[in-house]
Amino acid sequence: MAAPMDVLIVEDEMIIAMDMEALIVDCGHEVVGAAVSLQEVEALPADLNPQLALVDLHLAQGSNGFEVCEHIKERWPEALIVFMTANVSKIPKDYSGAHGVIAKPFSHAGVVSALRYLSEGVFDPPPSVPRPSSLETSEHLRQRWRKD
Amino acid sequence: MKQRDDWHLTDALDYEHGRGDPFAAAVRATRMPMVITDPHQDDNPIVFCNVAFQELTGYDREEIIGKNCRFLQGPETDPASVALVRTAIEQGHDIDVDLLNYRKDGSIFWNALYLSPVRDAAGAIRFFFASQLNVTERVEAQQIINQQKALVEREVERRTADLRDALEAKTILLHEVDHRVKNNLTMIGSLLRLQARSIDDPAIVAKLDNMLERVDALAVVHRQLYQSEDIATFDIGLFAESLARDVIGSSGRVDIKLALRTRSLMVDSAHASALGLILNEILTNAIKHGFADGRSGTLALFTGEERGQGTIRICDDGPGMPATRRTKSIGAALITRLVRQVQAQVKWSDNAPGTCVTITFPKSETP
Repeated sequence: MAAPMDVLIVEDEMIIAMDMEALIVDCGHEVVGAAVSLQEVEALPADLNPQLALVDLHLAQGSNGFEVCEHIKERWPEALIVFMTANVSKIPKDYSGAHGVIAKPFSHAGVVSALRYLSEGVFDPPPSVPRPSSLETSEHLRQRWRKD
Repeated sequence: MKQRDDWHLTDALDYEHGRGDPFAAAVRATRMPMVITDPHQDDNPIVFCNVAFQELTGYDREEIIGKNCRFLQGPETDPASVALVRTAIEQGHDIDVDLLNYRKDGSIFWNALYLSPVRDAAGAIRFFFASQLNVTERVEAQQIINQQKALVEREVERRTADLRDALEAKTILLHEVDHRVKNNLTMIGSLLRLQARSIDDPAIVAKLDNMLERVDALAVVHRQLYQSEDIATFDIGLFAESLARDVIGSSGRVDIKLALRTRSLMVDSAHASALGLILNEILTNAIKHGFADGRSGTLALFTGEERGQGTIRICDDGPGMPATRRTKSIGAALITRLVRQVQAQVKWSDNAPGTCVTITFPKSETP
């Protein structure tokens, strides 16, 4: 198992957020924050420093995943941003600066293998395992891991 | 000047039968309205008109002779058409044009005017000859046709716009329903996983995991359906391949090799979920029993056509298993019932070593 990551979950559907938290903990990572909207992400404590943010596109309080993505890029420039959505087609080619997407409905195996791939990339890029089909990644993430 | 005076001779013909030119007599007597104008006189006046022309216009000869032809025009006459006639006269060539003209009593008629110059031996223009034909009925019929055509075109355009709007609304609705189905499938998966987490009994957890696998299989069916362009048919070949990869991937069994011999195989979309569930049962069963206790091996998957029927065959090279033992599980019951639902047939056979399961079913009617 790769080293534990600090993970931020941004998801307005509570049941899915609970499931994600459990999956992440099962994989040996730590959930450092959970938010349902851009407003809640903005209100997260200052000392937080997530390495991975899993972000739903549709969020509470009229906010959306793209806004959260902009905010995270500004506040934690090093963090990986992975969208989790049932609307993969809404994601632009450049991923709006995010690094990947996991399509809903996701399977347990799909999330587990995606987390393994991402954590290997975070701590020792590039990942040793092949990219799982459950995870699509952006061109700039592949570039970033190639350079490292 | 002598020659131009010839017309007066032919005028006299009207009164003095048998005199002069038989062609002139024919022009007088024809039912086709005709006039002759003299461009050498001031304002190109009419110097001759026949009876048919008088009848068409309602004017007497005395009122016609000496006037320019424009006296037939009125407020609704198209100036552009008149300009064509003027240009033809200036340039000395013939012209064929429909003009809206006015009778003496103010009524209107459509005049199919044909005007041509009459040249002498040296090629100089001596007169203009014009024949008129009352084509009011034709022009009005054409106008009615044009109006009807415009009306029909407008109506077609409106209906097309309506249909386009309806299609757009339907598409939006379909996407919305899709989105809800996806969300609900995601939530069902999450609920089952959360529940499984709280259970200590491994037998019950295993049963819940089976349920999760079924829900995941349905999710894959749905994902493939909504990502495809064609919503009437479903590629069960493509599905079988991705499901086999998923099932082996999620089992974490890197020691099971996958031998694929698959090609696209279309079935009716209505059968997609049932066939998807059948395949899920057979595949997960093969992994759990064919490769039990960490035994490595190869899982072979064939999709294609045999004897005109869609065929999927899944073979393991494990210890094999008597068919009677399968009937106890919910999985076997699911297979039996679902197979009937989609008019498919399923057959277990010995793979020596291992087991082969062959599913045959009618292919989609659409190619």
